Amino acid sequence: MTSYASDPAWADIEPLPQDDGGPHPLAAIAYKDEYSEAMSYLRAVMAKNEMSERVLGLTERIIGMNPAHYTVWLYRSRVLAALSYDLRTELAWLNPTALKHLKNYQIWHHRQTIVDALDSADGEQAFIAGMMEQDAKNYHVWSYRQWLVKRFALWDAGELEIVEAMLQHDVRNNSAWNHRYFLVFGRDDGVVVEQKTIDREIEYAKETIRKAPQNQAPWNYVRGVLRYAKLSPASLKEFAAGFAPVERPEDIKSSHALDLLAEIYAQEQGKSEEAVRVLDLLAEKYDPIRANYWNFRKSQLGSASAAA
Amino acid sequence: MATPQAPSQSPSARLQELLTTSQRIEELSDSEGFEDAMEPASAQAPPSFPKLQMFTSPLRDELVTDSSAIEAETLDDILPFLEDNPYDFELNSFGVPKLQRAQHVAFLRRALGNYPAQFAAMDAARPWLLYWSLQGLTCLGEDVSEYRERVTYTFSAAQHPMGGFGGGHGQLPHLAGSYAAVLSLVIVGGKEAYDMIDRKAMWHYLGNMKQPDGGFTMAPGGEEDVRGAFCAMVILTLLNLPLDLPPTSPAKIKGDETFLTKLPEWISRCQTFEGGIGAAPTNEAHGGYAFCALGCLALIGSPKEMLHKHLDVPALLSWLASRQTQPEGGFQGRTNKLVDGCYSHWVGGCWGIVEAAVQGSNDGVGARLWRREDLVRYILACCQGQKGGLRDKPGKHPDAYHTCYNLAGLSAAQHRYVYDYEKSTGAAAAPLSAAFNWTVADVVEEEGKIWDEDDTVNIIHPVFVVPWGQAEAVRKYFEEKA
Repeated sequence: MTSYASDPAWADIEPLPQDDGGPHPLAAIAYKDEYSEAMSYLRAVMAKNEMSERVLGLTERIIGMNPAHYTVWLYRSRVLAALSYDLRTELAWLNPTALKHLKNYQIWHHRQTIVDALDSADGEQAFIAGMMEQDAKNYHVWSYRQWLVKRFALWDAGELEIVEAMLQHDVRNNSAWNHRYFLVFGRDDGVVVEQKTIDREIEYAKETIRKAPQNQAPWNYVRGVLRYAKLSPASLKEFAAGFAPVERPEDIKSSHALDLLAEIYAQEQGKSEEAVRVLDLLAEKYDPIRANYWNFRKSQLGSASAAA
Repeated sequence: MATPQAPSQSPSARLQELLTTSQRIEELSDSEGFEDAMEPASAQAPPSFPKLQMFTSPLRDELVTDSSAIEAETLDDILPFLEDNPYDFELNSFGVPKLQRAQHVAFLRRALGNYPAQFAAMDAARPWLLYWSLQGLTCLGEDVSEYRERVTYTFSAAQHPMGGFGGGHGQLPHLAGSYAAVLSLVIVGGKEAYDMIDRKAMWHYLGNMKQPDGGFTMAPGGEEDVRGAFCAMVILTLLNLPLDLPPTSPAKIKGDETFLTKLPEWISRCQTFEGGIGAAPTNEAHGGYAFCALGCLALIGSPKEMLHKHLDVPALLSWLASRQTQPEGGFQGRTNKLVDGCYSHWVGGCWGIVEAAVQGSNDGVGARLWRREDLVRYILACCQGQKGGLRDKPGKHPDAYHTCYNLAGLSAAQHRYVYDYEKSTGAAAAPLSAAFNWTVADVVEEEGKIWDEDDTVNIIHPVFVVPWGQAEAVRKYFEEKA
């Protein structure tokens, strides 16, 4: 690649070399000449606040060498906005880069900025689906997905179906459970959550628990739903007891069922002995690594903050 | 030229590991899926290797999914380190590998040295390399004052004229870089290091990050999440900056008055239905963000007051307790994710703050909420690299990030951080002085002490994550200057 110094198109720019602050900076990187030079030109154009096509080219080249450089991405966004650049072209350029650097936060934030300015979510759900095939729990992709749903009111645009398919594939994908909760209970468009929706969600969680009772995700979900709906956990007593028959400890299938039972007993009048028994089962046999926590729960029985 | 590259690793594997983590701390996300080849397990365990009690649960579902499959694979990598001693480390009096102190010190000193060209991708994360290394070294008992001058001028090049620090010269200011820079300067300490910070410009920069909804963005036009809130409040507190918003702040323009306006309420919105805390409202609960959120609240007021007022504490406790994995003993960051040594701090560090919030609420078990000994065993047996440095888990390479946060987690397990409510004087106290009321007590054998004096790391401040005393020193310096 030709150097900027010998390129007449850049002759008007006086590069700004890196100032290391002193003779022996810590954690110094021995940059390649090409990277060093490009950064020197970037510093120079940023100092002038230049917004131009050639700056876009420069940022593209630096991103190619170092996609984790937030400064370059943020400056590129500003240039795109200033030039009213064609954002579809930008998105098309971004796609392969994003696939190559799935874990890179900057790329997702940049994408969000572009899609926001485009004012269209066209193709985004499909693009995200491709990403999630590679990494179904990527925190940035899920955050971006939530932003997209809120920004473009995609609450009823197939999101719940997608989540359902993902949970069908892996009932333990907690990110998908979180998204489900967001879709059903996190709507900001004034739609009221009806009783039948609450019933449906409780039923869905129960059904999933039956497939793998030691999977904590649907237990957390159903407890979240109860809390949202201000329903007593006691409504799940029989269901929980089905996975944790205290009278037949050898048939216990789920520590999370025991946990819920303990909470239910703690809130029931005169049932603290039962609560102690369940918490002892957890501490001694079914979840010993949390013995201190279960013992703490025991110590809280009878006090105002007994419910956990 | 010293590089942090261990001879047994190929540069590309090492680089990938480092880059993954460098992005991760910026993101506080996970790097699952980058499985490197297992490091060679050298020798058979000596027949005398004592078996510590390892907790398992008899409960296991038959249904196999992606999550359970990778969990099982991971356990296969980890078990040899829990059951045996593949690296032939010398054992302490409890039968656990000793802390390989000298090796870790050498590793971190190399991490402060020069890096070859293929590390260009670390360009924006250099402040972190300094912080992780310096914090790790002091945790191991090293004197880092020899680096004072170099730290000071390294950051002078990264300070932005408009306030805050970027990754290096000419880079835009970023709250992550600003946080790492300020903490590094606080660790080396001294007038020169303190006075290098342009506090007035920093105050303006932080004001620009404050948003009308109460939270903070990480950079101008950047993402808003709970890291931003934590980093900004740490800097304001340590530098004793005014709580009033500067006139240019987007929040001020909308009519908000101070950095604290709507902030605890915004953090409260980050608590999820699981009881844990996510990056922003409605995001999945995550150990890294949970620490930032609790730390932020503990800067504003006492743990008891702030946590009970703004969070559902029983739900938080339940979620936090669930993060300790069985049988590994370390922490995972989210429900159904893998154990990772960095959460020794992100989750382990939450415990001190949460314990302080429930402190004295009952007798007996009181502050004993989690199993310190299992975390210590995971760190010492599974996370120490064969040639120094600490790591995510067996099969991964050590790096400065995991070294720093494993050691901070070790400190959280080995010391009991207790909040002194006598010292806290309520409304009469100076603003943002709540985090200066911590004391420290010893952990005794009955509480699961499985480490000797040689394996004990230094105490650190449970909220600022700098050596004990350094936060107090910088705050005092700027209070006296005012």
